[in-house]
Amino acid sequence: MSKPTDLVQGTLDLLILKTLALESMHGWAIAQRIRQVSKEVLQVNQGALYPALHRLENNGWIRADWGESENNRRAKYYSLTKAGTKYMEKEEANWERLSAAIGLVLKVG
Amino acid sequence: MRWMDVLRMAGRWVLRRGTAEGELDAELRFHLERSVAEKVAAGMPEERARRVAMMEFGGVENMKEECRETRKGNWLHDMAQDLGYGARMLRKSPGFTVVAVITLALGIGANTAIFSVIDAVLLKPLPLRQPEKLVALWETETAPGQYPLTGHDYVKWHEENGTFESMSLYSWPNTYNVRGGEETAGATVLKTEANFFSVLGVQPAIGRTFANGEDQKGGSKVAILSYGFWKERMGGDRDAVNKTVQLDAEPYTVIGVMPAWFRVPGKADVWMPLDMDKGKLVASGNHQWKAIGRVKSGVTIEQARADLRRIAAGLEKENPDSNRSVSAIVVPMRDAVIGHSDQLLWLLFGAVGLVLLIACVNVANLLLSRATGRRREIAVRSALGAGRGRLTRQLLTESVMLSLAGGVLGVAAAYGGVGLLRSVLVRLVPQPNPVQVGGASLLFTFGVCLVVGVLFGLAPALQSSEVASSEALKPKSSGVGTAGRRQWLRDALVAGEIGLCLMLCVGAGLLLRTFANLRAMDLGIHGDDVLTATVRLPETTYKTFDQGLGFYRQLLEQLRGTAGVNAVAMSTSLPLVAGVNGYITIPGRQAEANTGPLVQATSIDGDYFRAFGIPLLAGREYLPSEHEVAAKFMREISVVKTEAEARELAKKYTVAAVINQSMARAFWPNENAVGKIFNSFANFQVVGIVGDVKQFSPRTLVMPETFYPIEWDMANPNRPYSIVVQGTGKPENFIGELRSAVQGRDASLALMEVRTMPQIVGESMADTQYQTCLLGAMAILALILAAVGTYGVMSYLVRQRTNEIGIRMALGAARGQIVGMVLRQAGMRVAIGIVLGVLAAMAAGRLMTGMLVGVKPIDLPTYVGVAGLLAVVALAACYLPVRSAMRVDPMVALRDE
Repeated sequence: MSKPTDLVQGTLDLLILKTLALESMHGWAIAQRIRQVSKEVLQVNQGALYPALHRLENNGWIRADWGESENNRRAKYYSLTKAGTKYMEKEEANWERLSAAIGLVLKVG
Repeated sequence: MRWMDVLRMAGRWVLRRGTAEGELDAELRFHLERSVAEKVAAGMPEERARRVAMMEFGGVENMKEECRETRKGNWLHDMAQDLGYGARMLRKSPGFTVVAVITLALGIGANTAIFSVIDAVLLKPLPLRQPEKLVALWETETAPGQYPLTGHDYVKWHEENGTFESMSLYSWPNTYNVRGGEETAGATVLKTEANFFSVLGVQPAIGRTFANGEDQKGGSKVAILSYGFWKERMGGDRDAVNKTVQLDAEPYTVIGVMPAWFRVPGKADVWMPLDMDKGKLVASGNHQWKAIGRVKSGVTIEQARADLRRIAAGLEKENPDSNRSVSAIVVPMRDAVIGHSDQLLWLLFGAVGLVLLIACVNVANLLLSRATGRRREIAVRSALGAGRGRLTRQLLTESVMLSLAGGVLGVAAAYGGVGLLRSVLVRLVPQPNPVQVGGASLLFTFGVCLVVGVLFGLAPALQSSEVASSEALKPKSSGVGTAGRRQWLRDALVAGEIGLCLMLCVGAGLLLRTFANLRAMDLGIHGDDVLTATVRLPETTYKTFDQGLGFYRQLLEQLRGTAGVNAVAMSTSLPLVAGVNGYITIPGRQAEANTGPLVQATSIDGDYFRAFGIPLLAGREYLPSEHEVAAKFMREISVVKTEAEARELAKKYTVAAVINQSMARAFWPNENAVGKIFNSFANFQVVGIVGDVKQFSPRTLVMPETFYPIEWDMANPNRPYSIVVQGTGKPENFIGELRSAVQGRDASLALMEVRTMPQIVGESMADTQYQTCLLGAMAILALILAAVGTYGVMSYLVRQRTNEIGIRMALGAARGQIVGMVLRQAGMRVAIGIVLGVLAAMAAGRLMTGMLVGVKPIDLPTYVGVAGLLAVVALAACYLPVRSAMRVDPMVALRDE
């Protein structure tokens, strides 16, 4: 099956971490939040989302707990860990530096 | 520590696996339901919403697999899954599994067995304290070779060296008469300096070894027994210490028993203290002693060698006559014990390696054939989300499972085979460590299984996982024509297998020709009806020359009167059983002492030449008066005090000698040797010339040889003599008569080394015989495997072309044409295999040069014969499938399409 070519892997990780920085959420909500916040520009494919979540969990950057959802269904809630926060800050800084650099190049061009 | 981690992980995985899978399901279902709910809220009918959501969601299994991949400890899960699949697949095709496992078991079993020998003989250190510090000591002489030490040189080396921690002297093995129970038998005795065992660094299994001083004043009457001797003669009595054994009719007190494995530097039954009388040793100029040494720590063997050579050079200066060209040879003990047997072992190892490779090729072929049948299964798995790496791993797991199963069976076979191998190799290879399938062998086998499993599994695995799912899922994709690359690989495997098999067959063929050449070799005797045995008179009861001579004369006389006996003789050595040799000088010729060709010296009595059918070419045998001259000389010299007196006495005597043709040619070319005089301590006159007899083995050249009257060699009547009986009927029939004749005269005497001459001839070529058997067995194994492999591939190919054959036959092709077509296809592979094999065999054949007699490593008849044999076997393996293809009804074949 096709890989999410619209989002570079590292970017998706960063988006997920950033989204979870506000509050813990389940997978569905994460996808919705990213879509809404990006004003429908970024569509997160489930095929990429769940493997990414499991990978982040395995790396210890996010933690998963089962909880009640809004409509009283059991759902798996992900939340940011301390290591995850650190990692996110680092990646965020990286990203900003990179996008600033790209922006500079584009302006000059 | 790492194992603990793995265990913990495995435990967690087993406990959590169920929940983890359930959680993943629940999580994804939740997502799907939210998606449906959202669509319904937006006004979509529920059924449609569900369908759309499912489509949006994409491949669930794929996603799950990706999630699983991220999980820690996952390889364990994969492996368990692979093992499960593998076991299921192997169970599903038991025929394939059984054939593959047995093929591998043969290959791996043979490797395990041979490796066990290599491990015990070549890899494991000698089972002694710091064996790398141990050396064997020899001397050089004017003639090339290594010689025993003189007592004189040993004492000097011992005293003057600065590089040895210790040295120990020991005797050549001697055979003693052992009395015990009913039977009297022979025992091999080594006399050693008291420190012998501590120099080697070995402890007895029971009791003690020699104490300091037990080798003084003639040596104490104590004995250390070998494990085998103790078991056999004392019934393994735990309280054997302080009991006595009768050796040469004298009681010896047992002080210890050596461990079962102990046979360094050579095998012996009993060890006794040597008489280390320094005065006697220094006076002894005979090269008759063996010695071992332990190099000081921090000193290399090279330094020790240089040290002894320095001392030897000094001794040569002091004694220019006796010590001319005498220097030290220092050989690491390991090399001294193993000798040249490593060559044979590595050859065998190479041979079993080839057999294993052929087995691998066969299994690879089987897997390839099966892989084609499994293409659809693989494609389905790949469509369901199995990655290529995962598929390859799965297939490799299967092949390693196969090889491990083969390994288990192979080790079981090796356990049985190693016993056989041990007894076969006992004559060819010294076994300083016991040969057994031990830890190292099992580890080796495990490694081989892994390598082999990957080796024969890799090609099929890579190919299978390459299959494009779209193509393979099409129905009936196994029709006419096969993918080019797979075909190429299969061809290469068949050709390679035939090439490997050819190499082994050429090796076996060369040895077979060598063996035939040896059998056909003229030994110079007709000994088919000759019985021989050894008798040794103990010192205690037979002290003088006349006592010894009297015993043997009467014995021979009695045997002569036995019914059916034609000729009776005694001698100091036998044909093919090397005796002693020395130098001669010829009066009037410019020759220094100790130069010229070495001459074998054998002393005989009775009808020696007639018994062996050795022709008298010129002159005559000894007259009774000539025996008397020798006897008179021996009686006179036995009372002489000094060596100078003895030399003076010797000058007065001329003893009769019969020489062989080679000696006549070497010393009196173009002359009649009869009547000529030569000198070797005393003067000898040649009275007769006899035909050449091989003295060492069928493959060595005949040396000049002189035969003296037996009296000449009876100064010490206690040396072993061979008794020779030739009569009508089977030589074995005279064993009873011979034994009762000997023991009737003296019940304490054992009849030792009882052998017929055909047995001696057989033993002289035992090395070649066993080499031929071993390599031949491997070649036959390889041939069977190659035939089975070729048959398998050809029947597969023919099956694939059944449709085509059907069409061709329907269109009117003659049977011959079709057979020709298939055989041409097969013939190409076989031909390429044969060419490759010939090239490889030519390259490897040189390793065998030392084992061959009368045949070059590149021997045209052998190559042609083996190539022909392989071609016939391979084509026969092809013909059967072709014939069955011909029986196919064209209509059936076409309908199948």
